[in-house]
Amino acid sequence: MSDVSQLLDPAAEEEYEIESTEGGLWTGSRLFVGLFTMAWSGVAFAYFYLRAIDRSGQWDPHHLTPPPVIGTLIALCVLLGAFMLEYGRHQLRRGLRFEWLTAAWLTALFGAIAGGFQIWQLTRLPFYPGEYGYTSVFIGFAPLNVAMVLGGAYWVETIAARSIRLRVEVGPDVHLGESEHAAARHLRASLAGCNFYWWFMVLVSLLFWILFYVVD
Amino acid sequence: MSHVEPPSEHPGDGRVARGANMPHFARLFAIWLLGTAIVEPVLYFLVWPHIPPGTMTDAARGAQFDALVLTMMASPVVIAVLEYFVYAMVVWHQKKGEPPEDGPPIWGHVGIQAGWIGITSAIVMGAFVFGTYELINTAGSGGGEGPSPIWTPAETNDMLTVQVIGQQWLWTYRYPQFGGFETPELILPNHTKIAFHVTSLDVIHDFWAYQLGVKADANPNVDNVAFATTNETGRFTVRCDELCGIWHGAMYNYGYIVSPTTFYKWATSTEKKLSPLTKILPKFAWTYNPSANGAGGGYYPASDAFYQVYKYEYGTSGKEGNLPAVHVKPSGWKPSQAGSHHVRER
Amino acid sequence: MAATTMELGAGATGYRPTATRLAHPWLSLNVITAFLGAAAGYGIGHWIGNYIASNYAVVQNTGQNNVAVVLALFFGVLGFVAGIGGLNYPILKIFGRQPEERAPVQDWTKYFRFSTDHKVVGKQYLVGVIGMFFIGGLFAMAIRTELTNPNTHFFAPDIYLQIVSEHGTIMMMMATSLVVGPLGNFLVPLMIGSRRMAFPRLEAISFWIFLCGLMVILTALPLGGFDTGWTGYAPLQTEAAPGMDAYLVGFGTIGTGMILNGFNQIVTIVNYRAPGMRWSRLPIFVWSMLATSFLLTLATPVLFVAGWFGVLDRTAQTAFYVNTHGGSSYLWENLFWFFGHPEVYIMAIPGFGLVGEMLPVFTRKPLFAYRVGAAGMFGVALLSFFVWQHHLFVSGINPDMRPVFMLTTELISIPTGFIYLIGMGTLWRARIRFTVPMMFCLAMYFNFLIGGITGVYNSDVPVDVTIHGSFFVMAHFHYTIMGGLLFAFFGAVYYYTPLFTGKMLNNTLAKIHFWWMFIAFNFTFFPLFIVGFLGMPRRVFEYAPRLQVLNDWASASAYLLGMSFLVFAVNFVWSVWVDPRPAPANPWQSLGLEWQLPAYKMPWYNFERLPIILSDPYHYGEREALPVAHLQGVLALAGAGAGGGLAPVGAVGPGPGPETAPPGGQADGEDQRR
Repeated sequence: MSDVSQLLDPAAEEEYEIESTEGGLWTGSRLFVGLFTMAWSGVAFAYFYLRAIDRSGQWDPHHLTPPPVIGTLIALCVLLGAFMLEYGRHQLRRGLRFEWLTAAWLTALFGAIAGGFQIWQLTRLPFYPGEYGYTSVFIGFAPLNVAMVLGGAYWVETIAARSIRLRVEVGPDVHLGESEHAAARHLRASLAGCNFYWWFMVLVSLLFWILFYVVD
Repeated sequence: MSHVEPPSEHPGDGRVARGANMPHFARLFAIWLLGTAIVEPVLYFLVWPHIPPGTMTDAARGAQFDALVLTMMASPVVIAVLEYFVYAMVVWHQKKGEPPEDGPPIWGHVGIQAGWIGITSAIVMGAFVFGTYELINTAGSGGGEGPSPIWTPAETNDMLTVQVIGQQWLWTYRYPQFGGFETPELILPNHTKIAFHVTSLDVIHDFWAYQLGVKADANPNVDNVAFATTNETGRFTVRCDELCGIWHGAMYNYGYIVSPTTFYKWATSTEKKLSPLTKILPKFAWTYNPSANGAGGGYYPASDAFYQVYKYEYGTSGKEGNLPAVHVKPSGWKPSQAGSHHVRER
Repeated sequence: MAATTMELGAGATGYRPTATRLAHPWLSLNVITAFLGAAAGYGIGHWIGNYIASNYAVVQNTGQNNVAVVLALFFGVLGFVAGIGGLNYPILKIFGRQPEERAPVQDWTKYFRFSTDHKVVGKQYLVGVIGMFFIGGLFAMAIRTELTNPNTHFFAPDIYLQIVSEHGTIMMMMATSLVVGPLGNFLVPLMIGSRRMAFPRLEAISFWIFLCGLMVILTALPLGGFDTGWTGYAPLQTEAAPGMDAYLVGFGTIGTGMILNGFNQIVTIVNYRAPGMRWSRLPIFVWSMLATSFLLTLATPVLFVAGWFGVLDRTAQTAFYVNTHGGSSYLWENLFWFFGHPEVYIMAIPGFGLVGEMLPVFTRKPLFAYRVGAAGMFGVALLSFFVWQHHLFVSGINPDMRPVFMLTTELISIPTGFIYLIGMGTLWRARIRFTVPMMFCLAMYFNFLIGGITGVYNSDVPVDVTIHGSFFVMAHFHYTIMGGLLFAFFGAVYYYTPLFTGKMLNNTLAKIHFWWMFIAFNFTFFPLFIVGFLGMPRRVFEYAPRLQVLNDWASASAYLLGMSFLVFAVNFVWSVWVDPRPAPANPWQSLGLEWQLPAYKMPWYNFERLPIILSDPYHYGEREALPVAHLQGVLALAGAGAGGGLAPVGAVGPGPGPETAPPGGQADGEDQRR
């Protein structure tokens, strides 16, 4: 019962490990979003909690918000980036390398711009950090938002760079969208996770955009 | 093969017949019954009167009784588990000299598992129901209920209001029904409902009147209310029970429950004696904003802030007259108001 | 860069070493460069901080301000991680490169490097957590020294509070990683038949960050310490000395390590199980790691955010926790305990898992009600997210929610009870072997019984009004964490040291350690329940003289308890390094997959060929049972080493039968060298 024939043959074993890595990227990206969700719920909890108890009447800054145009631009950049990445992924599936790469770089650019805007906005606030509960929560939110969008940009950038390098490593004619090459499959898995993360960023951006600029 | 199967699919133990379980069950049950029969009366008759925090107030008495009930519920469980482990160690160990063997492959037992879940659930629900009853029955059982308590004593007209102010590292007390004088002494009348309004001037403290069974966090800008009805005269300890800085360990003093007439005498004379000081104290309020700029480095009423809280919690009229009953409007308190509130015996 | 399959990091061959070219050990990154990086980072951060905010010195003319301290610590951690080599991969990725999957350094210096071998990381963690435990333990000795007398003082009150706070924080941090770190990283891939953790570099980083966290916390002492205890309640937190920054940054740092570790464990367990390792065959320890990791991954971000708010309050002058500016000190209490209570179960569940793993081996029976046990751990994990306000029963918030939180808290005792069900069911008509690990397991059940039952007292609001914040609570959680987790951990250390090192620990010393620790532990903490019930608050340096006798008793016992670990340390050093005795393969005759492997001498990629899992590892007492896995060809160690160190499992009893022996295991040969 214990002969070698009952083990996986090397090819099946290789396939098994590739699938493990693919699955790991899938699980990892979802879990990543899960842990970010918990972190953002901490911020959202602070927002709602302080707003609700309003201990000393100091929650409300009386229609004072951070520059709303910049804030809207940030959310818009994230939204555009997510759509762009979705588009790029579609092009990758079709085998259009140039379109995919352009979309990916644009996505990374949108992420970087969103992060930059967020930092710029922090320098143009019409209030002091501790003036109100609202302002405190905003100051807490903004750097985390920078980290989130720059992280998204970084992720896309690494995938784009990787797909360029794969042309060198695997061969220039490889159809990354369909190749069964392990590297290509892992690239696609990572891209799927990244795409998921970008849509999550859209949700977060919209939620906090509404909380900070729309809700009175 | 799949993992946990019903016992029938694991014929397993061929060495010992199925009925071999019964003697073990019988012995274990007998020992358990004996242990429980000994321990429970001991708890009820001998231990109960000595369970902290004593019987100085209804809250303390409730906590004491609750602790007794929990102990009486927990004891059979503890006895069963300990007894089982000792029994297993004595009876079911690998004997010296015997060839090492494996035990019978028992993978589970639906009845035992279901029974276990059922029994533990029943015990837990029992503890929960009783704890909740006790919590409501003694008006929050002496715990701080925040600015708008939901469990209050039935009658609140005759309640004595004591404001407890924590600051680093001292407790002081204000008696709004006696002109709002402030003193480091905590004197309470017997047979009286007391509403402790606990607040802080700086960091979080915790007002723990140990023998009264009262504990409430002293948060800055929060009026944390706890109730207790006094029941015995005597001395009790007040400690700070939340880390509040370096002298936290030294932040304690003693309070006294005295007869209502003694209390009234003390309160009125202290009110008179301290009246010059009371005048320069900040006006009585439920919370205070500490400020380094206040007179004498003191503090002043957080009036604005207070009314913000007030508006949020009680509506918009914002006048003290509309305060809920527990926020007694500072007016007189007479010893005749005490005396009718004997805490019922159990 | 040459294109090879290997560099693409894929495929079965990808994880095995081919020709490796190692840099000179002294020129490549190691812990020394890490410390240089940390020092540089600290300096840079401090300089930037003073550049920004030198006008806001905490004490005039000290040059010490909170911005500088926070940035110095942050950059110090960053410098450390860069210096150990943790940033190489993220930077390479920017250029689209994958790191070479090559063999890590093989000589002893691998323990001082950024190693992607999960077995090395496990050992690094082991030394790390034990060291951290001893440091925290010294603080505990100091606390007990101060409390030998109610009003004569050994320490100034501020020093005393610094000691208390350091003890609490270090122990809490240590305990969160105590099992997941060393045993989780070492054992999980072996138990599930994987060649590696899912993200080996994250795994390595998680350890070095964990170490950074400890160092950051210790820097609080030269910065003036922090006097808030490990809970760091807010108004005090906001106004505390710069040592508080070390607490906040330290928790953030170690929290990051916890998140990464848990994240890695989950992905590994979900995706890297060997063929045939169904969920129903997963060892119970792996289940406990999975449940714990979910808590680590999902609860810790909340602490991270709470600490971030605290840092902002102290540096950017926000007002999250400042009541008068629209904040609330309750916000910290809520966020902290929303993390803090799951964290308590982060410390309990691994102990359950270890005990569940060891009991079948020493009772020679299958684990009773395996599914119920796994479900119990997940039940505890899930419920732990809904109980946090039981820490705030007297705080004045949400009185209407008290019955709810009382209910959820008491409900947790149901799934916790499952752990007793599986334990007691496994003991039923067992063949108990009183080995040292088994004694630790039984002691864990005893201690946790007391810890758990007293937990019900805490959850009951009327009783909690008396015992909240008192020594009763302190004794309660020492019984659950130290009595539960620590006992299970030390049992596991005795149990797994042969697997980790190939050496047996001295049995006599081990027994002395056990009895000494067990008795001293109970002598120390049981009186403290009484002390607490009699009215002694936590974290005080003065107490009622009537409590002195009990306190002195506890202090004396605490010294003994502290000394018992010296026995362990001596035993460990002696048996592993000074006078090593080779352990027999599988000395406990376990059926677990990890015990069929000579883990201590396996290559970094574990398996030449992936094992095929055939059954769960608990088929004790079944003659016809299948072996746990196919292992022939799986272990191709140099020459005779293959299965050579493995004794047939069935050799000791009729038990599972000879088939369970790893196929091809030559019981003679290398085995004879003992």
